[in-house]
Amino acid sequence: MMSVPFFGCALAMLAVWAGRRWIAVGLWALSLIALAVLFRLHATDALPLAF
Amino acid sequence: MSPNLSRALNIAGVFAISAILLVAFWDQFANAELPCPLCLLQRAGFVCAAMGLALNIRFGPRPSHYAIVVLSSLVGATAAVRQVLLHVAPNTGAYGEALFGLHFYTWAFVVFAAMVAGSAVMLLFDRQFEPPRPAGLPWLGTAALALAGLLALGNGVSTVLECGGGLCPDNPAGYQLLDPAPPAPAG
Repeated sequence: MMSVPFFGCALAMLAVWAGRRWIAVGLWALSLIALAVLFRLHATDALPLAF
Repeated sequence: MSPNLSRALNIAGVFAISAILLVAFWDQFANAELPCPLCLLQRAGFVCAAMGLALNIRFGPRPSHYAIVVLSSLVGATAAVRQVLLHVAPNTGAYGEALFGLHFYTWAFVVFAAMVAGSAVMLLFDRQFEPPRPAGLPWLGTAALALAGLLALGNGVSTVLECGGGLCPDNPAGYQLLDPAPPAPAG
């Protein structure tokens, strides 16, 4: 699951090279959403900070 | 700024991001340092940001492509800041070795911030957005796209080897698919 943004962007890069702009933008958007979701799943511990 | 100069700068940007990913790979394999989950998310942020630059190279500069760089950088910077905050307090340790006095996640935040600022500066130059857009794809642009695409693919494969099909452990101890855990003793 952690590899989804990488494979999504690799496919998007292929779409860029092939001249398919909207496919590339769509794959980028999906990759960024996956990245944000993965961050949310990993940012679970409380930070050791006090102000 | 002419569209051609803008394209040249975007090509340089893709090569710069590729260099960052190559340094991360070198550290992973030469120094046998496993990337942590937040490190992987920062790498993915760089790959996503490179997409905006790649679109500029292939289709000509557009404000929406710079927006892709900014949005990707903001998500990547969030992961980097999170990791900085995990280790910023005294006696909380650090993850990995420092490079030129700063840890990789601190460098990542600096570079993400620089990419946001750089995109804002590029957006100041309106003439690059005027037609005609540069046609075709120069060989250097093709090389930049190929390198970035291969690095994205390589990071994907490396991540699968390290984490399998699920989430990565917070403190990875090895490549899950290369060194599977021994079966639990019977009884």
